[in-house]
Amino acid sequence: MLKAAVTALVAFMTLPTVVVIVVSFNPTAILSFPPSGFSFRWYENALTYPQFQRAALNSLWVTLGAVAVALPVGTAAALALERGKLRLPTLWATLLLSPLVVPGVAAGLGFLILAASLGMIRSRAVLIAAHVALVLPFVVRSVWVSVRNLDAALERAAASLGATPWRVFRRVTLPLLRPGLFAALLFAVVVSVNEFVVSLFVSNRVTEILPVAMYSYVVNYTDPTIAAMSTLFITATFAVIWLADRFTGLGRVFLHHR
Amino acid sequence: MKLLLAPALAVIALFAVALGCLLQYSVLEFVPGSLQTGGFTLENFRTVTTPQYLGVIWDTVWLSAATTVLTLVASYPVAYMLARTGSARVRSTLLVLTLAPFFTGAIVRTYAWILVLGNAVITWPIPMLFTERGVLVGLVHFSMPTMILMLAAGISHIDPVYERAAASLGARPARVFWRVTLPLSAPGIVSGSLIVFAWTLSAYPTPALLGGGKVQMIATVVKDRGLDSFNWPGAAAFALLALVMTIALLAGVGRAGARTA
Amino acid sequence: MAKAVVELRTCTRDFGGVRAVDAMDLAILEGEFLSLLGPSGCGKTTTLNLIAGFVEPTAGRILIDGEDVTGLPAHRRGLGVVFQSYALFPHLSVFENVAFGLRERRVPAAEIERRVAEALALVRLDRLGRQKPAELSGGMQQRVALARALVYRPRVLLLDEPLAALDKKLREEMRDELRAIQRSVGITTVFVTHDQAEALGLSDRIAVMSRGRIEQLGTPRDVYERPATRFVADFIGASTILRGRAIGADLVALSPGLTIKVSAVGALAMGRDVELAIRPERVHLAAAPGTGTAAARIEGIVYQGALTEVTARLGDGQQVRAFVTEPAPLPLAPGQTVHLSLPADAFMVLA
Repeated sequence: MLKAAVTALVAFMTLPTVVVIVVSFNPTAILSFPPSGFSFRWYENALTYPQFQRAALNSLWVTLGAVAVALPVGTAAALALERGKLRLPTLWATLLLSPLVVPGVAAGLGFLILAASLGMIRSRAVLIAAHVALVLPFVVRSVWVSVRNLDAALERAAASLGATPWRVFRRVTLPLLRPGLFAALLFAVVVSVNEFVVSLFVSNRVTEILPVAMYSYVVNYTDPTIAAMSTLFITATFAVIWLADRFTGLGRVFLHHR
Repeated sequence: MKLLLAPALAVIALFAVALGCLLQYSVLEFVPGSLQTGGFTLENFRTVTTPQYLGVIWDTVWLSAATTVLTLVASYPVAYMLARTGSARVRSTLLVLTLAPFFTGAIVRTYAWILVLGNAVITWPIPMLFTERGVLVGLVHFSMPTMILMLAAGISHIDPVYERAAASLGARPARVFWRVTLPLSAPGIVSGSLIVFAWTLSAYPTPALLGGGKVQMIATVVKDRGLDSFNWPGAAAFALLALVMTIALLAGVGRAGARTA
Repeated sequence: MAKAVVELRTCTRDFGGVRAVDAMDLAILEGEFLSLLGPSGCGKTTTLNLIAGFVEPTAGRILIDGEDVTGLPAHRRGLGVVFQSYALFPHLSVFENVAFGLRERRVPAAEIERRVAEALALVRLDRLGRQKPAELSGGMQQRVALARALVYRPRVLLLDEPLAALDKKLREEMRDELRAIQRSVGITTVFVTHDQAEALGLSDRIAVMSRGRIEQLGTPRDVYERPATRFVADFIGASTILRGRAIGADLVALSPGLTIKVSAVGALAMGRDVELAIRPERVHLAAAPGTGTAAARIEGIVYQGALTEVTARLGDGQQVRAFVTEPAPLPLAPGQTVHLSLPADAFMVLA
């Protein structure tokens, strides 16, 4: 009986995705179910729409920039939290995780006002900075888990064998942190690429990233172009998550294993 | 080693400054038609307490509460199976299906509901799109992955031997669930519910797109006033309200977690 | 003739490719204390789980009080189980834990009060009703678990290595208490353990298990003094195993020139190869060669306080273990030749 309930609920969770994918192949703009045919025209539309193309490029730069900053900064922070013998580690941890807690509209408006006060409304820098702040908690969390599981004895052993601190870091610590770093990278990219609310506030038509561009489109037009765009998003996401689970066992991150 | 914390703190400091701007503007006077601001005033907060906006706040709280309860009921079975299944394949499948929505972004997920609720798939007997009902469905769907993960984490910490012990003492499966599993999963329920409630209070894309302007929540008010009317001070006051409510709720999570540790 | 309260008939349980319980037949008699004894992996816990209903047999039937319960789920079997980790519900008080089974049986509140108090008095924990399990010591938790399983007067009590988590002294105390409680209540009890001292001390009968099968079922004395198989002789106590050939009704030649007399068993089949077992505590050091002795060269001496363990090799190369109680009759050193006294009635004939 549990199985039946779970199947129904999982169907509920995935139904919208299925609908989107089906609709994306619909030959006409008027949606009908079951679809009247099969067509790639909306994919063509999506991929050639100049605003989407510009927004995709923006997304690329913003995410690249955010990840390039957040990964090292977050890793350093994770190491400091675990090994730095801080007096109030939970306080610092809470601070670093605080952007998760702030409502998107509050952060978005705040960054907008900040940008205006600095005369930087059109700049991408504020947008990237905001992304760094939003992505940082995920990075810190993922890397911290890995650092915690890192046996300090291994680093001490390397040191006793003559390796300098930098060499220990490069040859022992970093390789052992790889799962955590990989998870951090994954989270950072996915969170940044999909970030909507804050980016809505902090960008304009020139600098906007893909989700914002999609939002603008949906508000104005009703054809299935967005369905095509969404399907592309969904496919990419599923592929990434499946790979991540294969290689790092995501279950271990979320569940307690016996 | 401690210095390694500095860059991260700098980022957080920047974030704090942004929030500070919010605080600053919330007490400045709005000059209509421009981004300039007048002097110190509490007018923005007074606006928050007008019946119109109190109504919005109440609607938001009510909708968030309804979302939380429905999400809890819908998520528990999935979470239980996820935590208790012996089959690695089932666990993997459920995990992927639960996690994936997290990563497909709000717009994609909300658009999907525009299609389903908008008579693209089936014709609804009563209007769903652009109504509170529709927004509720979208919000529940949006919150389920979070709730499932938090519940599953809590349930997976319950030693299965307790369920066996209860059975050996004569409790049939429904009673085992009611007397043992459910109480022992309380920490997961509390933290999951508080988080879903907090996030739903400030939800934007779902009410905006599925509500079509007819369903107003705190977040939509912030966007309307801030981006459409350029009333930054007015919007800031509301944003601050959302922030304070969220922090208060999540502080509750922290304490609930500590109490059961 | 005692009645069988629990019966396993040709029960088999497989887990994937592993056969945990292999076509087992077992009848547990009313009021008896039966131990399932064996090394880890022998199937004793699985057998307990079969009786309790936590797992279903792949083949065979299980009967309780003559009634076939093979398909019956655990919560309908009316048994009492004490788990190795006690499994006391952390969110309920001691009182509520013990009352749990009574509540499931819809016993009225006033009677619950009375019976819980009775059960807690039985395990000598009278005044701890309102506390939570986490606040109690291991020994106290164990007693609560026992009270919880007994309060509703189940047909059978099942205990899964309940003393394993306790330290040595506490274990011995609890062992005696457990036996006393079981005797006073008179309940049929199945006790799973890997500790032979526990099994020997507590049981009316012991089922020695290995690889899913019962190697021997008998009283503690049977199992110790007349092991049926090599495994039992090895697992229970320590044994020296000697091989030879029967050359007379009561004579075994270990090697030409080395003959020993064996009595207390039936006549041996002439010319057959035999395996003999003798417990180290029955092997003594004789001052001089005589009847029933054999010469041996000392190889190892391990001082253990109350006794000294001596390993020595006989003329034919077979090794013998002896427990020499202090003070040693002679000074001992490796390489020395001594005369081991091997009493004829100390030998057990295996296979």
